[in-house]
Amino acid sequence: MAGSNEINANEAKKVVPLHTWILISNFKLAYNMLRRPDGTFNRELAEFLDRKVVANTVPVDGVYSFDVVDRTTSLLNRIYRCTSPENDSGHHSGAGVIELENPLSTTRIVPVIIFFHGGSFTHSSANSAIYDTFCRRLAALVEGVVVSVNYRRSPEHRYPCAYEDGWEALKWVHSRSWLSSGKDSKVHVYLAGDSSGGNIAHHVAHRAAVSGIEVLGNILLHPLFGGENRTESEKNLDGKYFVKLQDRDWYWRAFLPEGEDRDHPACNIFGPRGADLVGVNFPKSLVVVAGLDLVQDWQLAYVEGLKKAGQEVKLLFLKKATIGFYFLPNNEHFYTLMEEMKNFVNPSSSSSPPPPP
Amino acid sequence: MGPHDSSISAAAGSTSSSSSSSACSSSTKPPQPPDQMDHLLAGAGYKVRSNDLHQVAERLHRLETVMVKSNPLEISDLVNDAVHYNPADLASWVDSLLTELNTNPPVPVPTDLSDPHPNMNNMMYATNHAPHLQQVVAQPFEEDVSIQLVHVLMTCAEAVQRGDLSLAGLLIDDLQALLGRVNSGCGIGKVGSFFVDALSRRIVNSPENAAVHSDLSAYENEILYHHYYEACPYLKFAHFTANQAILEAFEGQDCVHVIDFNLMQGLQWPALIQALALRPGGPPLLRLTGIGPPSPDGRDSLREIGLKLAELARSVNVRFAFRGVAASRLDDVKPWMLQVSPKEAIAVNSIMQLHRLLGPNSSRGPPIDLVLDWIRDLNPRILMVVEQESNHNQPEFLDRFTEALYYYSTMFDSLDVCTAQPEKALAELYIQREICNVVCCEGLVRVERHEPLVRWRERLINAGFAPLHLGSNAFKQARMLLTLFSAEGYSVEENEGCLTLGWHSRPLIAASAWQAIPKPSPTMGPIIHP
Repeated sequence: MAGSNEINANEAKKVVPLHTWILISNFKLAYNMLRRPDGTFNRELAEFLDRKVVANTVPVDGVYSFDVVDRTTSLLNRIYRCTSPENDSGHHSGAGVIELENPLSTTRIVPVIIFFHGGSFTHSSANSAIYDTFCRRLAALVEGVVVSVNYRRSPEHRYPCAYEDGWEALKWVHSRSWLSSGKDSKVHVYLAGDSSGGNIAHHVAHRAAVSGIEVLGNILLHPLFGGENRTESEKNLDGKYFVKLQDRDWYWRAFLPEGEDRDHPACNIFGPRGADLVGVNFPKSLVVVAGLDLVQDWQLAYVEGLKKAGQEVKLLFLKKATIGFYFLPNNEHFYTLMEEMKNFVNPSSSSSPPPPP
Repeated sequence: MGPHDSSISAAAGSTSSSSSSSACSSSTKPPQPPDQMDHLLAGAGYKVRSNDLHQVAERLHRLETVMVKSNPLEISDLVNDAVHYNPADLASWVDSLLTELNTNPPVPVPTDLSDPHPNMNNMMYATNHAPHLQQVVAQPFEEDVSIQLVHVLMTCAEAVQRGDLSLAGLLIDDLQALLGRVNSGCGIGKVGSFFVDALSRRIVNSPENAAVHSDLSAYENEILYHHYYEACPYLKFAHFTANQAILEAFEGQDCVHVIDFNLMQGLQWPALIQALALRPGGPPLLRLTGIGPPSPDGRDSLREIGLKLAELARSVNVRFAFRGVAASRLDDVKPWMLQVSPKEAIAVNSIMQLHRLLGPNSSRGPPIDLVLDWIRDLNPRILMVVEQESNHNQPEFLDRFTEALYYYSTMFDSLDVCTAQPEKALAELYIQREICNVVCCEGLVRVERHEPLVRWRERLINAGFAPLHLGSNAFKQARMLLTLFSAEGYSVEENEGCLTLGWHSRPLIAASAWQAIPKPSPTMGPIIHP
């Protein structure tokens, strides 16, 4: 109905800056063309339309990047590092020879954030321009390393492929001596992700916790969770700020095993089939919820679920933020988020209890 | 260090520079000169002029409205039939979709391959904003011995650059020892040995000495080429993409003339001949002019290939004429040798040839300028350029060496998935010769002077060519070609109207298509044919 779409477009325009509206609307319309009603996905056109960037060993604004392919899994990780006297050992003038002999630092702790990009399990890659830009900012912000994982996507690769790839990446990161730091010479790992990436981060963290592999913290940026029930936020915000509920349903159908519903534990963490996290050595979490995201009730339920299980969690609720607010540095939510992430990862603040939300 | 792309650095950068702003509908960025590319969207990979932002927003809004009104079948058609071009240019992409979806009669398919929205300004962007990214994608070698190997290779190259050949010689010994300790079957062991070999040749022989470096007969050369062609998709991608573009450029033309800058075994042409044979409306008269080095052993290899192609053409009822032009160097070719006729549509096909013209100037000036000039004079409907996507032409030896080390490591990695022998071994030898040329040679003899797409774009635009965008159909077909190679790692990417083929996220070969802008006559301005 043209009328209600007019209203919706105008609503969205009121709350996001022009650039953001253009960027997210562009994705929305392109993605509409890529999802087929029969559940298949036009991967060719998707790859054609996706703007990608090459890694660059020449530092740009203090951050350089390079790709590593894990030979055993064929998985690609893009590594982002900051230049600084102590962790920039072998850099030839512009020629980009990567030194992988030394730890990041022998004195201070350098956080390594394993980042899972978003895209509802289906879109984007580690070398997508929007995520390359985001990871560069993140690396500079925490003065550490970001490892962006190019996990396998649905519908070609359903659950649990993305989680397997995340798990492999975690093990790979932990075993790189050149990612270790601090006097204890170990890799100080955080997990982070937006949208489906946030979902992946949760599941990898869970597996790490029960396997005894250390993860110092989780950062979930409007993580993708759901369930069979229709929540208030889903009903109220359906179609209003770039996202329709039926699109969300499409992506779950494409990701979950065929025949499964949205109460599958991958999707509905603390639902009827969810795992019990009581007593699990789960890392502390920073969960960022955008107040105009229709999925927020599930994200808030996730936060409650973590609390009930006695886990440490901080909720950052950004009332007027829409999805994707963190792609462009043109709004206050972006800067608030940056500040929170920086504090979360700062080793000196990790021992103090989180302030009340 | 090369200068960076200013738009990426701005977008990636400092959170301190822009003021914290409340979310409101208008942009709160500091005003930018309107003709500039918006740097925020540039960081997301899109090129939109600042003063076009509101228009783009309005068109996106309109597109959404139209899409909502359309039935799903129409959208499906839109997706399946429409050819998308250059998605980085957001404005024209949205426009082209609006055109497709509107109830207006369909726009007739252009008979040449011009951008659906020919716009001189688009070309201006490329000129003004061509990024000077020095992109070296490093392949980290992680095992201890590998790290040492790379270290010593770099140190040795540095010594060579400084002229300290005695030190370099000692380091070669160290390198041989290290090579003994790595797995020479793959990875750094394999490619490292070629680089050690190349370095030691350079130390022993004078880099300008051609004789030492071209030790294979033309026949042996062809054998290696053929196996390289079979073992990995790079040449096939080049031929395939070029043929697609040429086919489209020749639509509606009755007399067509392809000028191939390096005929070799003519592997590219059977497919084009067959495609022309199957063309709706029937095939044109096809002339092929194949340029190649003179055969030293008395054979006329050009003519032999021509005869084979003529036989094929005859068998599929395509009227065909072949002419061979023997020349050791492209800048020795004179346009009159090509015997073009004003009535024919011309395609110039350059697969990994233009970089050979980037060497020292001849008495007539820079060879590349000479050749691009006479190409332009031919007024071809399409100039197809495929080149290695790397900078092996940097003035400093060490920079070239490093970049080549990573480039060829990636290429060798991609070859690892090929199991057919002797294809793989001979393909490796083919690549080894390239490596040798980059590392061992200088001056006229160093012909493998690869430069990346960004530089070729600049060069070609400055020489009076306009880009013809390769669209989503070419992209899709290139991806289908790759499925024949059953290796997950190959990737085709779209890069502002050009296509690249690479291994994982590293592009290795770039294909681009160009159209000559006719030179302005002395009394009138240039006449642009849309």
